[in-house]
Amino acid sequence: MSESSPELVNCKILLIGNSSVGKSSLLLRFSDEQWLPEDESSATIGVDFRVCKMDVKGKKVKLSIWDTAGQERFRTITSSYYRGAQGIILVYDVSNRDSFEALPRWFSELETYVSASVVKILVGNKLDKEFSRQVSEEEGRNFAERMGMQFLEASAKTSVGVKEAFQEVVEKILETPELWASKSGSGKKTSASTSTGGATGSIPGSISLDAPLTGEDESGGCSC
Amino acid sequence: MPTEVPYAADAEISLTFDELEVLQLQYEKEEAQGHVSVQTKFNYAWGLVKSPRREHQSQGVRLLQDIYRVEPTRRRECLYYLALGNYKMGNYEDARKFNNLLIEKEPTNLQAQSLDTLIEKGVAREGYIGMALVGGAAAVGTILLASLVRRTRK
Repeated sequence: MSESSPELVNCKILLIGNSSVGKSSLLLRFSDEQWLPEDESSATIGVDFRVCKMDVKGKKVKLSIWDTAGQERFRTITSSYYRGAQGIILVYDVSNRDSFEALPRWFSELETYVSASVVKILVGNKLDKEFSRQVSEEEGRNFAERMGMQFLEASAKTSVGVKEAFQEVVEKILETPELWASKSGSGKKTSASTSTGGATGSIPGSISLDAPLTGEDESGGCSC
Repeated sequence: MPTEVPYAADAEISLTFDELEVLQLQYEKEEAQGHVSVQTKFNYAWGLVKSPRREHQSQGVRLLQDIYRVEPTRRRECLYYLALGNYKMGNYEDARKFNNLLIEKEPTNLQAQSLDTLIEKGVAREGYIGMALVGGAAAVGTILLASLVRRTRK
């Protein structure tokens, strides 16, 4: 369906992962070719959003990229942005073991909110901090393989691997017909639920917003 | 590959009725038990501020003001959503006030900068509309006056 629309293809991508692993930095590097040092960057509040255009294999792609807050306190909020996502970039910090150990939890959240056909890539960020590396490339790759994700190490600071990460996700999305078959097919449908302190041992008041969905697709909201 | 216009995602996209209801029910449940946690209150306030309905937005703003007062660790996000809520309601002065407080604390915060651009655009738009109204009224006045003058001369 979307194939037949002329030229421009819309893709929705979500960045997730622990706080301070560099999700916003990856996005800023990709979208604006900029970098903010650690003391100047601030934790994302709720969600941030950017639209970028790129050419992938001769197709013009309009990317809506949703950059979610990694902090636990925004978990309920960020879960509402999974709907309609065709690609997920799961980020950890190669110099922070905790951010790697948290990946199974992020992955189980993914299984809750998005369908299996959604493209997922694991990105080990902060490759520039090689000297204080706490997670080997092999460990990262093994985890990604086990979970059926693509894998890549990157540095938002030096821009190594950044463009490639986004490129790979978009290429894979374009190659996955299920993601284009029907507009409503990209979200899981389960009933609304409330759980205080569920399996993730999360903060009280953290609840699942995974309400029943209609076929509505708010395509990332473009002003043009 | 430059990005497009500044955009605050939470300003444009609201929750579904069911999603907001989940947050509301949780809030009411805790309220009935005598204690609403800050997290629950914040989640509900966020959902309300995102709503397209004005009464929701102002209720959300009220809750955020409560949280701002009692929970210093939540101030930055309260300021952001207070600014956003007021922006959506067209209270640009208040929106600017809250957002500026956030920018004061975090001068490089890109979300606050983006929201600032939106607020200033809103202010400018309001200015144009104001001018158009004044201009329009003046034009109407002139025509009326002219016709009166003409009539009295006849």
